[in-house]
Amino acid sequence: MSYSVTSSLARALNVLSESMGQGRVVAGATDLFLKSLSPELVDVSSVPELLGINRDHGSLSIGAGVTHAEAAASPLIRLEAMALAEACRQVGSPQIRNIGTIGGNVVNAAPAADAAVALVALGARAVLIDLGKRQHHAAVEELYADYNLSTVDSSSEILLRFLLDLPARDEGSAFLRFAPRQALSLPLVNAAARVRLKGDAIESVRAVIAPVNPAPTRLYETEKMLLGSWPEDDTWRKVEYTAASEVEVRGSLLRCSAGYRQHLVGVLARRVLKKAVERAVKSRMGGDGS
Amino acid sequence: MKEQVISFELNREKVEICADPALSLLRLLRSRFNLIGTKEGCGRGDCGVCTVLLDGRAVNSCLIPAGKVEGRKVLTIEGLTREGLKKGAKVHPVQQAFIDKGAIQCGFCTPGMIMSAYALLRDKPFPSPEEVREAISGNLCRCSGYKQIEEAILEAAKAITEQEGKW
Repeated sequence: MSYSVTSSLARALNVLSESMGQGRVVAGATDLFLKSLSPELVDVSSVPELLGINRDHGSLSIGAGVTHAEAAASPLIRLEAMALAEACRQVGSPQIRNIGTIGGNVVNAAPAADAAVALVALGARAVLIDLGKRQHHAAVEELYADYNLSTVDSSSEILLRFLLDLPARDEGSAFLRFAPRQALSLPLVNAAARVRLKGDAIESVRAVIAPVNPAPTRLYETEKMLLGSWPEDDTWRKVEYTAASEVEVRGSLLRCSAGYRQHLVGVLARRVLKKAVERAVKSRMGGDGS
Repeated sequence: MKEQVISFELNREKVEICADPALSLLRLLRSRFNLIGTKEGCGRGDCGVCTVLLDGRAVNSCLIPAGKVEGRKVLTIEGLTREGLKKGAKVHPVQQAFIDKGAIQCGFCTPGMIMSAYALLRDKPFPSPEEVREAISGNLCRCSGYKQIEEAILEAAKAITEQEGKW
């Protein structure tokens, strides 16, 4: 096996080209030893095109090589994409967050990867580059082929960054997870939401839950129910019920029984949506949304 | 496996070694540099006993491919002890605080715990108990119950700031 570290995107693409499908892109490499090794690894964690968090023409651009620790501490992400900061703060442990990247969190394609769940709720689009240096965009939820299998072919393309629409003044987002312990623990269920208000009503909403499918899953029925109205106590009870009913969950020895998970889906969906609405209200009133 | 030359800074000294880049940093440290202060526990990033600093940040050395440290800085528990010796003490103040507060029982988690504590204190010289708990949340200890460890880290913070300029 060969392992090359490069800080040049062109060089990384060249190595992949020359390895004729035997190469593979790695970034944080935290899951490398847990999977089978490829003969040729290209470490892109210090390629400048994959780094940095900045505003870019009405979008928030977040490099795929940004670590969870950097994302969790970034004032810009905390201001514009709080759900992502919250998700990144809860991944694994400090040691994992210091080196694991959000791009890796998505391409690793675990069904309940915290950062990925937040990115889908925020409506993030991935920017990828292929060996011919052509760039294309894809919604994060479209990058899942199956459980733990990404559509991103790490032997012939590189995930560069994520773009998400900057929030309007009356928007809020939130992320929640439920796990047996506060660190080093897989979530039994995680949830994220992004909400925009207009007047006295919810104008747009994205609610996402995992793990119920290979990809983080939108709660379309729940979203539909919330649109165009102002949620009262009764609405939140309906949110819990609708969210729990609209997805099919499995029990697993690794996580918990199906019944318990169904219950958690409802509770977390309600809590995360409520939190996102509260932040939208606060942001509208001139607060920082946190 | 094909070996390749890996150059990096290890405990503040430049080193160069010919090794399989797919070897974990943990194995590289223990078997090639004989730095056996860093322990192997789970070998999959769950327990934190193999914690070292990579460019000043705590990482699980069991998960890092050796090839990844090319051009970077690695600090192990031996490097920390050496800093203590250089300043005329027997060990580093974080290590001393663990001894003084009885934060060591079987001792197996201790090197990793101390490296996580040191990484915290580099960034935050005055951590809150909450920040201490978060900093060691990736390190498992099955003996102590963590209380003495938390006290030791807060004590180390005090000792280091009292001797300001010295460390």
